[in-house]
Amino acid sequence: MTTLSILVLDDEPIVCKRLKPAFQKAGYDVETFTDSAAALQRMTERPFHVIITDLKMEGADGFQVLERARKLLPQARIVVITGFATLDTAKESFRKGAFDFVAKPFKLGGIIECVRRLEKEITG
Amino acid sequence: MGIMARIAGMFTGWRSNDGVTFSLLFKKFKSILERNNRILELMADMGDKLGGEYIFDSKYIEDACSQLDDQVFKLVSDMSVLTQSKNTALFLAFERVQHRLQEEMAGRRHVEGGPLVLPFKNIGIESEDEVGGKISQLGDLANRLHLQTPNGFAITTTAFFSFMSRNGLLELAQTGLDGWDGTDQGLHELSDLMQARIMDSPLPWRLVAQIDAMVDVLSADGHTPLRLALRSSAWGEDGDSSFAGQYATELNIPPARVVEAYKTVVASTYSIEAWRYRIDRGYRENEVAMAVGCQIMAESHVSGVLFTCTQNSGSACEAMVVSAAWGGGAAVVAGETATDTFFLSRTPPYRQIASSIARKTRMLTAAPRGDLVWQEVAEPLQGIPCLSDYQLAELARVGMSLERYYKRPQDVEWTFDGQGSLHILQSRPLRTGGDTGLSVPVQVATSKAEVIFAGKGLVAQRGVAMGKVVLVDHNTDLDQFPDGGILVSKYTSPRYARVMRRACGIITDVGSPTGHMATIAREQRVPALVNTEDATALLRNGDEITLDATQNVVYRGRIAELDRFERAEPDMFEESYEYRLLRRLLKHIVPLNLVDPHADDFRPQACRTYHDITRYIHEKAVETLVALSQRNDALHHAPTRRLVDGPPLGLTVIDAGGGASCDPRATTLGMDEITSVPLLAFLQGMTLSGMWDTSPVAVDIGSFMSSFTRTFTTSQAGPDKVGRNLAVALRDYMNVNMRLGYHYNTIDAYVSDQVNDNYIYFRFLGGVTELVRRSRRARFVAEVLDRFDFRIEVHGDLVVGRIKKLSAARMLVRMHMLGGLVGYARQLDARMSSDEQIAAHAQAFMEAIKSILPADARNTGENNDNPEHSGA
Repeated sequence: MTTLSILVLDDEPIVCKRLKPAFQKAGYDVETFTDSAAALQRMTERPFHVIITDLKMEGADGFQVLERARKLLPQARIVVITGFATLDTAKESFRKGAFDFVAKPFKLGGIIECVRRLEKEITG
Repeated sequence: MGIMARIAGMFTGWRSNDGVTFSLLFKKFKSILERNNRILELMADMGDKLGGEYIFDSKYIEDACSQLDDQVFKLVSDMSVLTQSKNTALFLAFERVQHRLQEEMAGRRHVEGGPLVLPFKNIGIESEDEVGGKISQLGDLANRLHLQTPNGFAITTTAFFSFMSRNGLLELAQTGLDGWDGTDQGLHELSDLMQARIMDSPLPWRLVAQIDAMVDVLSADGHTPLRLALRSSAWGEDGDSSFAGQYATELNIPPARVVEAYKTVVASTYSIEAWRYRIDRGYRENEVAMAVGCQIMAESHVSGVLFTCTQNSGSACEAMVVSAAWGGGAAVVAGETATDTFFLSRTPPYRQIASSIARKTRMLTAAPRGDLVWQEVAEPLQGIPCLSDYQLAELARVGMSLERYYKRPQDVEWTFDGQGSLHILQSRPLRTGGDTGLSVPVQVATSKAEVIFAGKGLVAQRGVAMGKVVLVDHNTDLDQFPDGGILVSKYTSPRYARVMRRACGIITDVGSPTGHMATIAREQRVPALVNTEDATALLRNGDEITLDATQNVVYRGRIAELDRFERAEPDMFEESYEYRLLRRLLKHIVPLNLVDPHADDFRPQACRTYHDITRYIHEKAVETLVALSQRNDALHHAPTRRLVDGPPLGLTVIDAGGGASCDPRATTLGMDEITSVPLLAFLQGMTLSGMWDTSPVAVDIGSFMSSFTRTFTTSQAGPDKVGRNLAVALRDYMNVNMRLGYHYNTIDAYVSDQVNDNYIYFRFLGGVTELVRRSRRARFVAEVLDRFDFRIEVHGDLVVGRIKKLSAARMLVRMHMLGGLVGYARQLDARMSSDEQIAAHAQAFMEAIKSILPADARNTGENNDNPEHSGA
């Protein structure tokens, strides 16, 4: 069985810094990015099983990264993490292909549980 | 129909002189209570985030603060309506706090106007801006980990700025650097000039006076002749970049030379090495600030360095290593003398693995007039180990507690004095290099390990702990708790604070991550998992386990990889900017300074935190409502009646809707006519428990227990004694304010079928005896509340207990209990002559109260529905 690979994108370094060791400890292969261009670039270079991405609402294109990621890696399961959790952003995220929608702040155990569920789906 | 609507209906006929209806005022009162809850809830939530279970970012911090700003502002506004006044002082207090929070979030450091000197006892890790990295950490060792460190005081960064700018020295450094030609020679000249000017400049007289005063305090402690060590503590020193060894340390300084030594340390900020180091790392001049720690010079018999984790030479196993020599430690640190070396196991009892004893011919000692001198070591001591097995074990124990706290291997400087007491001089992360998290095969190890349970419980403090299970209950003698054990208990208890320095982990069946114990676990960074439901059934005394309180798993055996993985994590949560920011913000939010409503400084001008403002308003709102309700015209539509039976409280009951079933015109009422669910339960608890014993409760438990068999009598307590007590009652709600004997009680409770709205707020204050006894009683009350899962705060003789979101049945159990507790504690302070009695009385009360609680509630931890404590 191949190791599940995860890409984390969040412009707040603290989120990356804390998710990385947590996923590593759970046995996953993790790469983290604080810059969306670099993350999208990486998606063109290699596939990921799971993409965990922040939804930035400051810019007009909060969903752009989600859409681009969806095009680049259609097989990847996308989990949206956001501090702007409203019913509308959740609906829109699902409509744009997100598998899960997690409001920040969230529990470390919860996000790992979420990835484990996706892992089961992916591996069968 | 909601409470608001019903109350509005009750009071529609009445208007105050200003044309404000009582119903509006009561509505504001309720709104104040609700906001009060919400604010305390937000505060608790923010505190929780420090435990490490949640991933949060700076947006969360901003959002939480702005929600608090909003709630506190509206609270003050509601108060203005209720009291029909402008409350300018309260609005100003609000603005002061808000401004502080904004400044913290903007990253502006508050040093202007701060103290020039600070005693070590007031210093913690959050004082870094004021006292620099090294000293704030030393304060932490003493005040949070309770390790013995040499006492002293810090000359703050405020003092530094005051001294430097008064003499135009900061400007000199900046212009000098601006005109610097980039050569070593040029920097040398600049450095010499700066240092000479610093040494020649006078200190502001106010600073000299404060330093002298602090030195006097230290000499008054009986240290004669007083000798001090002055150590640098710059911004950033011992932080991400280690300036270790760049700045000056002045040892064995007599009081008369402190000012000169201070200037020497400050001057070392501009030594060529330090300046070069900063320039190479991109530091700006405005990031430079030097605080100086002045410590009593530890009298050193044996000193040295401990590394808590190193590769034992020749084998792959990890060990601690101690380097030690006779006399002062400076020689060991600098490598100027032969040292004994000991390798010790990292697990209790910290067995000695290997040692090599050197021939130690000379040692550093303090010269009588200052400075240090080399001295010959007495012949018989030269070839023997300078540490005993006992001293090594003590050192190892302290070293491991430091490593657990900082979650990193530590490099510890220590000394044993002539009396054999261990003093910690400094502890900093040991830079090992190479061993990164990626290389630790943690998944391989955990996948092979037996999982005892997983996915249960709530993280109160994140982290990994390995050790033996120690099952503990209310009867366990905590003084016998073994070092490095993992405490496993049915309930959380603030009592466990005592063992936290020895326990390396905590697991409980019930409890909340916002509870008192959780807060202490966070302070001490002891990994703690609460509310696991059945850990005590799954774990046996003496089992070796590994607790992973980040992913809520307990493994059988020791999984060293997990521990190593954690130590190797490159970024520690507790050192992150967001963690530190949140902690600093909470300093302006949570501490409660306005404790006693009868004290002179219980006023808006003295409010320093949001908690102060909230507390002040709560107190005054209740007072205002009581005053309002005592005006006859106000109560035209809200019948006021005296309670004629039941406990002799002299209680006046205002029925604001559904609180009583008696005739609308009646002026008195009996217990059987009370229909307010929480009020009835409370009064019944007081009566049925038989705890209303007006003669003070005997200390001796035997005779005390016999007092329960006595029948209840009202004759001994006249209403004049108990004062005027007031209850506002609705069917699901009560607010009781009363003075009983000599203490003040406020109980605010809402109990309905809407579990999410249910809460009890309990406050207890005052007493006739001296503060020590009163605070014993407060601790007794807190102990009992804790056993009923209340979230507790104790400040001197004030106890605040809160609980919420329990089912009506469970809330009523607690209302019964509170009735009993109020009766029991009424005059207890007069009898609390020793600390031991706190536990004894708590035990006696628990025994007695059992008889009136429903059978299934007799185990206080009956609730499995995960109470969420906070608020109210």
